[in-house]
Amino acid sequence: MNVIVSNSIRFVLLVLVQVLILNNLEVGAGIYPMLYPLFILLLPIEMATVTLMFISFFFGLTIDAFSNTFGLHASAAVVFAFFRPLIFKLFAPRDVFETGEMNAMNLLTVRWFLVSYVVLLFIHHSWFFIIEVFKWNEFLLILQKIILSVPISFGLSLIVRSAFMDKSKKER
Amino acid sequence: MRNLLAFFQRFRIFLIFVLLQIVALSTYVRYSEFARLQALSTISGINSSVMSMRNNVVKHFNLEGTNKQLAWENAWLKQQLKLSNYQLKKGLVAIDDTLYKQQYKYIPATTIQGTFDKRNNYMTIDIGSNHGIKRGWGVFSSKGVVGIVHTVGKRYSLVKTILSKNINIDVMLDKGGAFGLLKWDGENAKYVQISGISNDMRIKKWSTVSTKGGSGIFPRGIPVGRVVEKRFMEGRPLWDIHLLTAVDFRTVQQVYVVKNIHLDELEQLQEAIPADKEEEEL
Repeated sequence: MNVIVSNSIRFVLLVLVQVLILNNLEVGAGIYPMLYPLFILLLPIEMATVTLMFISFFFGLTIDAFSNTFGLHASAAVVFAFFRPLIFKLFAPRDVFETGEMNAMNLLTVRWFLVSYVVLLFIHHSWFFIIEVFKWNEFLLILQKIILSVPISFGLSLIVRSAFMDKSKKER
Repeated sequence: MRNLLAFFQRFRIFLIFVLLQIVALSTYVRYSEFARLQALSTISGINSSVMSMRNNVVKHFNLEGTNKQLAWENAWLKQQLKLSNYQLKKGLVAIDDTLYKQQYKYIPATTIQGTFDKRNNYMTIDIGSNHGIKRGWGVFSSKGVVGIVHTVGKRYSLVKTILSKNINIDVMLDKGGAFGLLKWDGENAKYVQISGISNDMRIKKWSTVSTKGGSGIFPRGIPVGRVVEKRFMEGRPLWDIHLLTAVDFRTVQQVYVVKNIHLDELEQLQEAIPADKEEEEL
């Protein structure tokens, strides 16, 4: 499928899932699952960081507009986009950037990709909750929110992967 | 030379990163000052219609509870009617408009969307400046205090609920009358805190707390919650009181916005109080 089409579909679907379902989940204990960083993660690997950040900014603003956060998600999404190339360089094997296009959903089975996703999610969630609470004497609350939310966001992404993966082209 | 170019390449990305962060964070921190930014919240065109659609689906899940609540409120209101009361002193009791004049008016509204798990929680209601709503008016449901109107759009407005950092509504204990300020520590949507009540007061568990009506935002005596726990505050002669909120923010649907006819007069009077540094610290 065309890269632009598949990413646009992902854009719409992830905004709707985040806004209509995840924002209304009541898990308690400060847990706030965020699935939308998956969209930024799955944008083409060879995309330039500047383009990536602008796309993430508008993507974050869209989510902000539906959840009354006025720029908080946009800020966290830009942080995610800024760190994506750096983390990829850290974990990816050399040849990945040369082989070019891979099916993004199938990439989600590769180990280095998942590891860098967890690290990015951790950075993203930390930024989000620190800016949201913005009080150092509530540091434990921030820590609790981060530590409980990251595994749940990650687990949700794995579930989404298993639902949408193209099984015929499975790569190991 | 090559190193220098590489440095600028890196630097350019970082500059754009900082720029985008400044835009995003400044809108986040100061959005209430810009009326234009209403387009970025659930009270604007497309977003509110999506949220209304969502509400049309979700509201049916709570229908039974809402019905019960409204029926209960109807019954309570009927009890207040002259018809259902036995007249003790015939001829003496008379409703006279020259003695009682309306001070508070209530405008009913329906909640469209709301959060209860963030650090500051907002709720969207389906009335706005078309209905005469203004920023700073109180909002309550039939069970108790909900919050204060924060941003007003044409057809919708945002309510800052009592589950927010600096909500500071003045409340009092129904028994004893000691008053304090309402706070929320952000941990559990069921419990809010009161600060400023001196620890020589005797407070019983489950004693009720209601609004004091001092700032004219709420009438006196709207329930806020019940005391579940009181702790000593370290180093200060105050109780740290935890309340179970009267309102369940997960299911609240019908609310009323309070219009105080005397609000302008109250504010004019209170502006005349000279500022005091010690008071500001509290």
